[in-house]
Amino acid sequence: MSPFDRAWSPYAAGVLIGLLQIPAFLIIESALGASSSYVTVGAAIAGLADPSLLNIDYVAKHVAANAKNLWQVALVAGIGFGAFASMKMSGAVRAPISPIWAKALGSPSSGLRYAIAFVAGFLMLLGARIADGCTSGHGLSGMAQLSVGSTVAVAAMFGGGIATALLLLRRI
Amino acid sequence: MSVAVGIISGLLMGVVFGFALEKSRVFEPGIIVGQMQLRNWIMLKVFLSAVATGAVVLAFLNGFGFVKLQPKAALYAADIVGGLILGAGIALAGACPGTTLAQIGVGYRDAIFTLLGGLSGAVVFSYAQPWLAKSLIGTGTKLIFTDLAGIPYWQGALALAAAIVVILVLIEKARPWRKDLGSDVDGNVAQRLPRPHRRLAPVD
Repeated sequence: MSPFDRAWSPYAAGVLIGLLQIPAFLIIESALGASSSYVTVGAAIAGLADPSLLNIDYVAKHVAANAKNLWQVALVAGIGFGAFASMKMSGAVRAPISPIWAKALGSPSSGLRYAIAFVAGFLMLLGARIADGCTSGHGLSGMAQLSVGSTVAVAAMFGGGIATALLLLRRI
Repeated sequence: MSVAVGIISGLLMGVVFGFALEKSRVFEPGIIVGQMQLRNWIMLKVFLSAVATGAVVLAFLNGFGFVKLQPKAALYAADIVGGLILGAGIALAGACPGTTLAQIGVGYRDAIFTLLGGLSGAVVFSYAQPWLAKSLIGTGTKLIFTDLAGIPYWQGALALAAAIVVILVLIEKARPWRKDLGSDVDGNVAQRLPRPHRRLAPVD
C-alpha cells in the first residue's frame, strides 16, 4: 500500500474513507457528504444573475458562508486535488474519455458523451437533493448510522442505477 | 468553529478522500458502470468497507458520548423517488457527486460536463424546493434501526460491521478484486478471447 502504487485493495481504501468520519464528527459535527456543496456553489453562481433565488430559505441556508457549508465545498474540491496527486504519484495516464464509454454508448463520439454526462450530472444532483443525500451522505454516513431513510434511499439508488445500466447502456 | 478551520479541515480531508478514491479505482467510470451492470464488484467492496469502518468508529465515539449522531430524517417518498433519479444519473455519469471531482482531477474531460450538469440540477432543485417540500418531500423523523429494535446504537453498529465483514469475505472469495481492475486499472476488463489459430488442414 504505497502512495506510488496504481491500485490499492478496495478494503484498505474503504477503511481509510470510513476513518474520515472521525474528523468530520469531531471537528465539523457533521457526517461526510458531498451533494449539498453543489447547491452552495450552484446557487451562489445563479444568485448573481437572479438574486431572488437567494430569498428561498433552503438556498439561503446553503449559500450562507458558514463553516459547515464551506467545509463541504472544500472537501469536494480536495477530492479533485487528492485524486490528481495520487494519479501523478503512480504515473497513471488517463485518456480524455474513459475507453469504456465507446462500448457502453455504442459510439466513440465525444460530443455524445459530453451531452450524456451533462444530463447525467443534472439527474444525479436533482435526485440527490430530492432524497437529501448522495452516495456519501446517505450511503457512507447514513448506513453507518443505521438510518432507516438512508437505507431506503441507498436501495433506490442502486435499483435505479442497475436498471439504467442494464437497460440503457451496452455491456462494457 | 471558525470558517477558516472548516475550509482547511475540509481541504485536508478531501485530499485524503480523493487519494483513497483514486487508489481504490472506484472513481473510474468502468468500475461504477461495471458495478451497476453487476459484473464488477470493486465499488461495493469500497462502499461496504467504508460503511463498516464508519459504523465501528461511530459505535465508539457515540457509545462513549463524544459525539451525537447526525442521521437524516426518514422521508420515504423523497428517498425512493430521489434515490431512483440519483441512481439513473450515477449509471449514466459513471460517477457520483463526489467521484465526479476525482474524475476531473485525473483529467477525464466528460466529468467537467457532469459537474456542470450537477450544478444545474442543484439550481433547478433549489427553484423547485419550496414546491417539492410541500408536494413530495414533506417531513419525517430521524429514525435509526436500533431505536426501532430498542437497543443501544453501538450494539447495532458493531453488528452491522460484523455482518458486512462476513459479506465481504464471501464476495471476495467469489470474485477477487484484482480480477476486476482491468489491465489499465480502469475497470475496462475487456474479454480477450484467445485468437483462434485456425489452420486449414493440409490438403493432401
